[in-house]
Amino acid sequence: MQDLTPSVEAHFAGFGVDDDLVRAALAAATTHGADFAELFFQHSTSTSIGLSDRLINRVHTSVDLGVGVRVVIGDQVGYAYTEDLELASVLRAAATASEIARGGGAPHPVSVLRRFPIPNLYPVSRSWDDVEIGERLPLVRAWEQRAFDLDARVRKVQVSLSDGTSQVYIARADGVRVGDVRPMTTAYLSVTVEDGDKKESGSYNVAGRTGIELYTPERQERLAKEAVHRAMQALDAGSPPAGEMPVVMAAGSSGILLHEAIGHGLEADFNRKGISIFADKMGQSIAHDTVTIVDDATIPGSRGALNVDDEGNATERTTLVQNGVLKGYLHDQISAKQYGVTPTGSGRRQSFRHPPLPRMRATYMEAGPHDPSAIIASVDRGIYCDSFSNGQVQIGGGDFAFFVRYGWMIEGGKLTRPVKDVNLIGNGPKVLAAIDMVGNDLEIDEGGWTCGKDGQGVAVSQGMPTVRVQKLSVGGGR
Amino acid sequence: MTLPQNAIDLAAHVVARAKALGVDEISVGVSESTNTEISRREQRVEQASSSSTRRLGLSLLLDGRWSTHSTSDLREDALDVFLRRAVDATRWLEPDPDRALAPAELCGRGTSEGALDHYDRTWDTLSADDRADWAKRLEEAVLARKDDRFISASVDFSDGGGKHTQVTSNGFSDATEDAWFSFGGSVTLSDEGGRRPEGSSHYGARYLSDLPPVERVAEEAHRRAHEAIGSGPIESGRYPMILANRVAGRILGTLAGPIDGGSIHHGRTCLGDRLNTAIGSEHLTLIDDPTIPRGLGSTPWDDDLMVARPRVVIEKGVLRMHYLSTYYARKLGRPVTTGSASNWVVSPGPRDPAELSRALPKAILVTGWLGGNANPVTGDFSYGIRGKLLEYGEPTKGLSEMNVTGNIATIFHQLAEVANDPWMWSSTRSPTMLFHDVQFSGT
Repeated sequence: MQDLTPSVEAHFAGFGVDDDLVRAALAAATTHGADFAELFFQHSTSTSIGLSDRLINRVHTSVDLGVGVRVVIGDQVGYAYTEDLELASVLRAAATASEIARGGGAPHPVSVLRRFPIPNLYPVSRSWDDVEIGERLPLVRAWEQRAFDLDARVRKVQVSLSDGTSQVYIARADGVRVGDVRPMTTAYLSVTVEDGDKKESGSYNVAGRTGIELYTPERQERLAKEAVHRAMQALDAGSPPAGEMPVVMAAGSSGILLHEAIGHGLEADFNRKGISIFADKMGQSIAHDTVTIVDDATIPGSRGALNVDDEGNATERTTLVQNGVLKGYLHDQISAKQYGVTPTGSGRRQSFRHPPLPRMRATYMEAGPHDPSAIIASVDRGIYCDSFSNGQVQIGGGDFAFFVRYGWMIEGGKLTRPVKDVNLIGNGPKVLAAIDMVGNDLEIDEGGWTCGKDGQGVAVSQGMPTVRVQKLSVGGGR
Repeated sequence: MTLPQNAIDLAAHVVARAKALGVDEISVGVSESTNTEISRREQRVEQASSSSTRRLGLSLLLDGRWSTHSTSDLREDALDVFLRRAVDATRWLEPDPDRALAPAELCGRGTSEGALDHYDRTWDTLSADDRADWAKRLEEAVLARKDDRFISASVDFSDGGGKHTQVTSNGFSDATEDAWFSFGGSVTLSDEGGRRPEGSSHYGARYLSDLPPVERVAEEAHRRAHEAIGSGPIESGRYPMILANRVAGRILGTLAGPIDGGSIHHGRTCLGDRLNTAIGSEHLTLIDDPTIPRGLGSTPWDDDLMVARPRVVIEKGVLRMHYLSTYYARKLGRPVTTGSASNWVVSPGPRDPAELSRALPKAILVTGWLGGNANPVTGDFSYGIRGKLLEYGEPTKGLSEMNVTGNIATIFHQLAEVANDPWMWSSTRSPTMLFHDVQFSGT
């Protein structure tokens, strides 16, 4: 455990944010009454460098600074933000949020301050602010060279290395004061390959809420090797047949199935509004008893890791489905109050410009009893999916889809030929019930996944052991 | 000295400051906007937000090295540190001889602010009560249609407006203002098996008066939710596809990647060598027109600050242009066009959309998308759909859990007809389209 709050308070003091300003803003925010009010200060810096045409020829730097003010009365929310941290501007934003939410509740006095230590899930050897641009360049250059060295058919290589640090300070009307310092980095490498008249591309990325130490020799090698391997595999890949068939999801990024098929549907805002297909299924069996699904903010260094959520609540490992039975939702402050439970630390936002919502962090299925090779061997004709680009869900109907960038046909229990670029579609509850084999090889994917909801993108992680889904609709067959 | 408050003076100040730090060329933009949003559920305001923002962005050239930077910390000392760091970061790069500001003689505006007509002065005087009233009337219209299946409805009304100012070291200095409005509603109904199908309808426009009546939004949201009741897949196979006008942008949009200069330069395209060849049937004519009054994609200048003007992208099926910014035009040794799309306008046909399917024993009407993606290198795409099975033009089954699969380079050869109903509430203004012999996967 650690107490970052004093250092974060000192950081924002440099912008004129002191206890007097915070108290005055909270008083303004609660002028017309509030059940809950908070200030979310954020200062973010980021750097991205890019290589193409064998030149390290792009750099982008960004600074973002501001405060969001939220006032909650019941489940009604007033929200305003300002990028100017002068007292007058912050008071104006607070008054706007208060006016918007006006309509009930008693004035909420600012309570005795409550501070609490938080875990240290993303220690860094050095802040990204202290890493010279010049230290990043050899990494990028080495990754490019490695990609060219791996195969003579590699014609073009593009690389980007993005990183940054976000300092957040949350001050609530109930007295909670908590600060966090959040690093993030992503490396992306893509290649274009040619073999005769055939041409393809492949890419791979690694990401984490961590410092430059993320880039171990093994991970750097994987970055180049996987990108080239995927492009080469795609050169020979075709389209699978169309229609319903068994699908084996590889360990790792197949967690996208959980994210779309069930994760969003268990975000409590959709359930308190009655619009999720899972709204009346709490306590019911919704999957095979080998299926246990969690959403975990406590995986050190992962993109979904959070020491504290964006409402100032402690984070946790939340069990969503236990041995096939629906056990829990992902709660923010508002839904937790409505359900009479403790928030799960799932209140997240893209930045100070947005109010928080219940969101996933790192969603994965726990390992099961089956040998992965036995799962593949069990399928007579189907597809094996091992790389994905994007997904989407309709919360109420439960229909979801995810796009498989690379995979394999399974014929007679063996991987026979590569396939690519196919959309898989199904219905969340039906697909969950159709997962009948769970592998013993859980992997948390290392990629830079971003989840979108209500116009807000937040960093997430996902993971999966190898699983078999009895039936999914495969959009192939050209 | 104190930083200028006026955006054009602030941008000019940054240009001068950067030049003093040794920058050769620089383009500075200041974006200022105010946005408001109100949503309602269960006959009360669920969330409302209101905020103003001011952000500065710049791209700079120093000894042939190019970089971009942005900040919302506009305090004087902070801005100075930001600029120094931007310059320092740029010095680490390798020179890229193809980077340059667009020639001054090509820059400027081709259309006056008045002719673009993208700033509704109503926005200046729209009050909180006005916004609340719009949302309330919309919710009332939605709730007025609820039936036994009704579970929940939410509506939203949002608007924004602002000004973008751009100043460069080679003499460009201009500003453009715009405003926008959008509103919509979503309806959730009950269905068998615990399903809760939803339907929604949203519109956006430059002028408040161009938004459709609230009753239309309510009717569409309910209708789309009802159409999803009992929906499911049908047998995989090849069917005629009717692509509804409001969702046609997804398929048209798959063209954007392969005809982009960056994709062509990096070899990630299936259309890089197809200029002036047929990539579709004679029914497809596509114009990029940044000058449309009140157009959601209208702009006086492009990303390079060059005069924005209409261009033919596809003429009766023949590809007539690639999107080439000054940078990628130089990379490819070709004449510059423009770097990105503005409004895409598909020339309409003569017939009503209902006529397109009337003679077809079976056709799939696509009304919505679910996931999917396209590979710009091979042209292959695969998208999830929702829609209806039509038999001689009559809907006989709601469709879901199905995919459509095809190839960007060939799908438009299957375009058999376009209707006369271009969708006006998007920067992609496409009519309903009929494609023959399209692969769908279902059961």
